[in-house]
Amino acid sequence: MKRVLALVLATALSSAASAAVDPRTVPTKLDPAWQAKTRAVFKQAIEIPSVHHRGQTQRVAELLASQFRAAGIPDADIHFMPYEGLPGDKTTALIVRWRSAHPTKKPMLILGHMDVVEAKREDWKFDPFVFREQDGYFYGRGTSDMKNGDVATTMAAVKLMSEGFKPDRDIIFFYSGDEETNGQGATLGSTKWRNLTDAEFGLNADGGCVSYDRNFRPLGCGISMAEKTFQTYFFTTHNPGGHSSRPRPDNAIYDLADALEKLRTYRFQPMQNDVSRAYFEERSRQEGNSQLGQQIRAWLANPNDGAAADAIEANPLEVGLTRTRCVATMLSGGHADNALPQSATATVNCRIFPGVQPVAVQAELQKLVGPNVEVKADPNYVGQPTPASPLRPDVLKAVTSAIQKFHGPDMHVFPMMSTGASDGSFFRAQGIPVYDIDGSWGISPDDERAHGLDERTPVRSMYDDVLYWEMIYKSLAG
Amino acid sequence: MRKLIATASLLAIASATNAAAPPQLTAAQHEATHAMFEHIVDIPTVIGRHRVPEEAQYVADQFKAAGFPEADIHVVAYHTGSATTGDDDTAAVIVRWRAAGTPKAKPILLMGHMDVVEAKAEDWSATDPFKMVEKDGYYYGRGTIDMKDGIVAITQAMINLKQSGFKPKRDIVVLFTGDEETNGIGAKNGATQWLDLLGHPEFGLNADGGGGSVNTDGSPAGFTMQTAEKTFAGYTLTVRNRGGHSSKPRKDNAIYSLAHALDKIEAYRFTPMMNETTRAYFDGRQKLEKNPLGDAMRRWLTNPNDGEAADFIEASESEVGLTRTRCVPTRLFAGHADNALPQLATAMINCRIFPGVDPNAVKAELERIVADPTVVVTRNDDYVASLASPLRPDVTAAYTRAVQALHPGQPVFPEMSTGASDARPFRVAGIPVYGTNGGWTVTPIDNRAHGKDERLPVKSLYDNVVHWEMMLRDLAGK
Repeated sequence: MKRVLALVLATALSSAASAAVDPRTVPTKLDPAWQAKTRAVFKQAIEIPSVHHRGQTQRVAELLASQFRAAGIPDADIHFMPYEGLPGDKTTALIVRWRSAHPTKKPMLILGHMDVVEAKREDWKFDPFVFREQDGYFYGRGTSDMKNGDVATTMAAVKLMSEGFKPDRDIIFFYSGDEETNGQGATLGSTKWRNLTDAEFGLNADGGCVSYDRNFRPLGCGISMAEKTFQTYFFTTHNPGGHSSRPRPDNAIYDLADALEKLRTYRFQPMQNDVSRAYFEERSRQEGNSQLGQQIRAWLANPNDGAAADAIEANPLEVGLTRTRCVATMLSGGHADNALPQSATATVNCRIFPGVQPVAVQAELQKLVGPNVEVKADPNYVGQPTPASPLRPDVLKAVTSAIQKFHGPDMHVFPMMSTGASDGSFFRAQGIPVYDIDGSWGISPDDERAHGLDERTPVRSMYDDVLYWEMIYKSLAG
Repeated sequence: MRKLIATASLLAIASATNAAAPPQLTAAQHEATHAMFEHIVDIPTVIGRHRVPEEAQYVADQFKAAGFPEADIHVVAYHTGSATTGDDDTAAVIVRWRAAGTPKAKPILLMGHMDVVEAKAEDWSATDPFKMVEKDGYYYGRGTIDMKDGIVAITQAMINLKQSGFKPKRDIVVLFTGDEETNGIGAKNGATQWLDLLGHPEFGLNADGGGGSVNTDGSPAGFTMQTAEKTFAGYTLTVRNRGGHSSKPRKDNAIYSLAHALDKIEAYRFTPMMNETTRAYFDGRQKLEKNPLGDAMRRWLTNPNDGEAADFIEASESEVGLTRTRCVPTRLFAGHADNALPQLATAMINCRIFPGVDPNAVKAELERIVADPTVVVTRNDDYVASLASPLRPDVTAAYTRAVQALHPGQPVFPEMSTGASDARPFRVAGIPVYGTNGGWTVTPIDNRAHGKDERLPVKSLYDNVVHWEMMLRDLAGK
């Protein structure tokens, strides 16, 4: 799941004075021979429709593995890990270890996923599974989410191997096969396959951190290093029911409607952590003296200023970033048009602030709606609270240095908390901090097409991402 | 749809009666009644389960076995369906017992329905709704009071009469429909295209109406004869929304808008109304009520504009639905995924409209109540306003005689049913219909039609057979 950058309409930025250049027109510094190699692998990857239940993910794994093998990684360090994602979805994870001859640090884990979201030919302008270059873009399902990241992390490693680079720690590549659906690969990768994946920290290539606005002003690179916990609850009301011609004073649907009315107006306690503080500090700088900027500064100055937090939360750009949020997403109730309902159920989807236990949220919801409404967690998906990954100076420094090399000093790097969930969450939950740092980029919001139609990535973004990951490897494993 | 007895707390009144002792069922008749009841309760004649034709054939076979001529027994297959109920192939049973010699008058129509409302085993306390169980003096199962008891009572009564050598002086025609609880196509056909088969009856006696009750202390609570019924009409509230990702809740949400609309409907009360039947009913009731409920009835009868008195009456558990139009939500549907904001939320609103009021006017009133243009109100059907049937002395006398022979001391009232039944299209076609069933229950604890743990006192089933025998001897034997 690609993180969507929230900064779609950031107002006046610090560097407005400098003449903005279309980043798509800046030539890449990747050597033409490596451009050709990268393009060839990218084309093959995009043209494999690795959608769930199509049984194609294994082919992507073989494609990536063949690059590592050709660069000299022994078969003993290349592991195909078949597993079942959604019921009946036979898929595969790929684990590759690039060994250090003389490791001085614990391994570093590179994360990606090889599966893509469904795409239908009739919905797209072009065949989503035919690779296409047009007007400075590569088009196709997975060009931004995230076969570009798979190819960049792989080709950067292969290129360094060919140049004789010797890492001072093992670099482990873990590409899952069901991130978009069930997250089973990451679950196994962080637990059962831990002997193959154990690492000091992980770098996730799922979703570029960088974006520009339509005027080519830099919007920054947000590194996701924390994410909210996904947990669905069911609110259920019960009633003896009866004949609808004789309404009872109590009614399961009315009771549920009352509970939903309470939920609609309820706000959880605002919370901050290191990641969200650093994020809001950057946002406050971007916003300058706008109303939102003032509200953010007030909240940073006084974390107990609930009014300021509420105002920030109410801003469409910042929804979900100040606290746990729960929202009703589905309803069902009753069994016949002419009978009083015997039960009614609302599905309530919560995104829980990192570190807060789902059982605590359940208790809070129960208190909110009262004893006549049953509140139960979805037994089919029990959310695992994930700690925010600590701000690692080495990672921040490596990313900042690499990003600014390509995008200049005005492209600020700052931490973010994701409101969605990705493979990283499973590793964070198991004690491996993960940072979403991919160096690909796009124009916001025009290029934000992950999961959507006519997905694309700028040609330069693909090529520069290879160089970017090369710098990251050198910096953190050299 | 069975009328629910509305008289919860009538005092016992001594009723001078010269009624002859009721006939007794033979052991064989008793056993046959039980077997037929158990057989048909166990058939889940819910819409969509395709089981009504089987039940229709079984009922027709009982008539055949008793010697009714095959040429006068018809199982008429027909289709029922609508957007809200789904579709089914169902059937009606038509049996014509011809008069010996020249009929003295046009036929009497005996009415009932073989279908039942859905029941889910997991909602019921202990028993399977489609496996009849005899326990603690009750028969438990879906349809035991609504209204497979009436189907059995009419069928067994006709069989008993036939066996006894009874010769009707006018035709007795049976119409058992297969979709009364949903679309009423059978009754609509009966009142139009099947009228020739039915012999253009003079009036109808509906087993899906009337009946009596006793209080929990065993004292009589009265029998009613149904002469009018409220109009059944279904409405849908629909809210649409752009939706989006549930990690970023929007301010507007289809579910919350719908919940808010439901809160308004919960608080609303329609304007009180009275007609000839309800005036007679309340006049009878007030004589027996010396308490504040009786005071309110007297105030309202004196001044039909005394809305406060009408509200007090309506709030009484025994009088719900008798003073005005009532609307209540019965079903909810919303959303498409637990992690997506809902794009659509709907509620089914079931209204029971005071006789003579146009269902379109109620739609307009619902729109005014909800007062939110994003909540769209639509009708689910095209039912027209129902009409009351004029009281017939012969039917009233026959019903009263049968009731008082079997239940000495039980008063008899005219009644407006809050439910709708197959009677409506016949009344609209100029054929008066009277709800004259002879079953009884304990009020209010047995008011479970359409609800969970539906049940019928064992004795009521056999009383009802005798009741119909007496009614038919009276109305078709002279």
